[in-house]
Amino acid sequence: MLEFLLRRLATSLVTLLLASLVVFVVLEVLPGDPAQVMLGTEARPDTLAALRAKFGFDRPAPERYLSWIAGLLVFDLGLSHAYGTPVSKLIGDRLVVTLPLGAMALTWATCVALPLGVFAASRRGRPADWLVMGFGQLGISIPNFWFGILLSLTFAVSLRWFPAGGFPGWSPDPLKAVHALVLPALSLSLAEIAILARVTRSSVLDTLREDYIRTARAKGVPERAVLMRHALRNALIPIVTVGGLLAGFLVAGAIIVETVFYLPGLGKLVFDSINNRDLIVIKNIVLLLTGCVLTVNFLIDVVYALLDPRPKVSA
Amino acid sequence: MTIFTRRGAIGLTGAAGVLALFGEGALAQAPARAKDGAVVIGMSLEPPVLDPNLNAAAAVREITYLNIYESLARIDPRGGIIPGLATGWTVSPDGLEYVFKLVPGVKYHDGEPCDSADVKFTLDRLSAPDATAPGKSLYASIKSVEVIDATTVKVTLKNPDSFFLYNVALGDASIMGRKSAATNGTKPIGTGPFVFKERKEGDSVTLAKSPTYRHAASIRLNTVTFKFIRDPAAQINALLAGDVDTFPGFQAPELVGRVRADNRFAVVIGSTMGETILATNNGRGPMKDLRVRQAIAHALNREDLVAGESGFALPIGSHFPPHDADHVDLTKTYPFDIAKAKKLLADAGHPNGFEASLKLPPVGYAQRSGEILVSQLGKIGIKLTITQLQWPQWLAEVFKERNYDFTIVAHTEANDLDRYARDGYYWGYDSKAFKDHWAAVVRETDPAKRAVLIKAAQKMVADDAVNGFLFQLGKIGVWNRQLVGMWENSPTPSIDLSGVSWK
Repeated sequence: MLEFLLRRLATSLVTLLLASLVVFVVLEVLPGDPAQVMLGTEARPDTLAALRAKFGFDRPAPERYLSWIAGLLVFDLGLSHAYGTPVSKLIGDRLVVTLPLGAMALTWATCVALPLGVFAASRRGRPADWLVMGFGQLGISIPNFWFGILLSLTFAVSLRWFPAGGFPGWSPDPLKAVHALVLPALSLSLAEIAILARVTRSSVLDTLREDYIRTARAKGVPERAVLMRHALRNALIPIVTVGGLLAGFLVAGAIIVETVFYLPGLGKLVFDSINNRDLIVIKNIVLLLTGCVLTVNFLIDVVYALLDPRPKVSA
Repeated sequence: MTIFTRRGAIGLTGAAGVLALFGEGALAQAPARAKDGAVVIGMSLEPPVLDPNLNAAAAVREITYLNIYESLARIDPRGGIIPGLATGWTVSPDGLEYVFKLVPGVKYHDGEPCDSADVKFTLDRLSAPDATAPGKSLYASIKSVEVIDATTVKVTLKNPDSFFLYNVALGDASIMGRKSAATNGTKPIGTGPFVFKERKEGDSVTLAKSPTYRHAASIRLNTVTFKFIRDPAAQINALLAGDVDTFPGFQAPELVGRVRADNRFAVVIGSTMGETILATNNGRGPMKDLRVRQAIAHALNREDLVAGESGFALPIGSHFPPHDADHVDLTKTYPFDIAKAKKLLADAGHPNGFEASLKLPPVGYAQRSGEILVSQLGKIGIKLTITQLQWPQWLAEVFKERNYDFTIVAHTEANDLDRYARDGYYWGYDSKAFKDHWAAVVRETDPAKRAVLIKAAQKMVADDAVNGFLFQLGKIGVWNRQLVGMWENSPTPSIDLSGVSWK
């Protein structure tokens, strides 16, 4: 198993390096001059050239790529062009919003979707099943920005139970921070719940057809234990896979939800940086996100290994 | 200009009913933070570095000008020039020498004194040969800046420049300390009534009342938070939930009705410097022909375009703000007349019209007017194809490379008729007559004679139908009724808080 994991780790690192190259090339050909964005329409050509030189855009591309990677190795991400502050600080400040937001949404989604899916599977073809599946269809169809606006109108504007948006920070009052993340996490988790519940249902249904389930039932194992201990555990592999993929989608969803709830999170930073052509911020975030997805995939492999401890055959 | 109240909309009976239900306290309430002299101001766009000498974004000036920094003179709410850091100035008869007298004893927020050496430092920062200021062309007429004594500074110009005083009153020319200027982008230090406290990138900028400001007693607010919310639906929710007290420049006219329906808020429509134009590439294809541009001018129905802005805009016939004293109404130069437009187009050799691109920046007014113009120009056979661009793309493709036929954009700078005299500007308008005329405007320092010249300049641009002149953008100000002293108009980018207070 160790060999399997080491091989997966090596693949991840190579993928990351390739991703950095792709990101760099894409940003090279992205139309728009960061210096012009910063200095506006009245700037003279010599002023633009001076600013480009200050940002280092006048150096050859391979040199810039290598100095970026060299900087990454010593955790020096450089200064944001737009804000003039270190990129690492910008990203750090945003992660303390987006990570808890994503974690809340994913936890909430798992806690609701797993029981819901198992429940639907156990009531297959009956009204309860239809109800859950109907909700699933609805959850997938409703755009999360619309759901977010709706939540905000109801619980912030009318009922005043939650703030309409914004993030007060974790100090001095962490409860206020959690409070501010409730509505965004809810709107982010809706689609996740829907997808995860459907996957859970079909995966549990598949395992319920297996021989060992019949054997368990024949032995007289109570139906509840059949479902939870035998069916769900074996159904978990596809569920974990989809859950991992959803973690990636959370980032895309965060861009929208953070705009609706004006949260200063990573999604909003990506959006703003693209609009400002703050290239140094974009490339570092994209690489960070790639790293996160690769890490999640790696962790999923670890979980597979734990769920199904049979030795891996080399692929 | 006009204050719309909710009274007409809901009727007195309705209002009385609401009163009975919630009691008087629930109506027109100031938020709890008002007791502490705190206010939260919503803005659509977030500023980059907070140094207006070195960054062109309007949002930088909106936050810093007259709040954190001051200039030698200042623009008042009506667009006039009044003393700022300078108590007064004298101009030599030939219009080449300006002597500014500074207010004595002014200190920066870090305790350093503000003297004439800082004025020289700042003006050099803007105009020296190696200066990298985005507004360098505004200060190109400066020849030299001399320190006479600690509170006297003399500026010598290369040529008379009737816009010089206005330009040194702008936020671009915010006077900065020699010691603090280098870090003003992230830690702005000025002489104004408010001190920079904190910035949360992507979220907010917070200022606090400056104890060392020379008129500190007149400043009523203690804490000011600028909050950045881009999405219009989120802006409304933030207002209605009481998280934000005002949007001085609300960007979505179609949503104004929802704010008006809430008695806590006043909606105030004012003027801006933003002439919205159908910018036309005069150097390309059919648009080179005056008759084609005249045909387009005849095909414009400004009533519909203004309606597209929910009525919060004023029609214009040239590139000049209607509220300016020197404005002439030129909207009837080429009155709306489809038959005449078709004939002009046919005379120019395009009886069936032609196809052209309309490249739109990502702003509400351009999106709204774009759709309307596709229909209006379609009636005379000009088939426009809309392409949506991000701002950086617009700057590169339209503004710099001039690879476009038409675009819609609001020119928000003051005195921007001079763009028509520029070589290589993105409209590709090249008129020696206008260039000579504008040079005379710049040289003329007698206000009465200058006014005559400026009026003639508006007419030249309108007659040449350089661009399609659509409307002057309105400033939609939304604020809590208990908040007083906000600027109704926007003569220059600034959210001046020195006169703002809670009732």
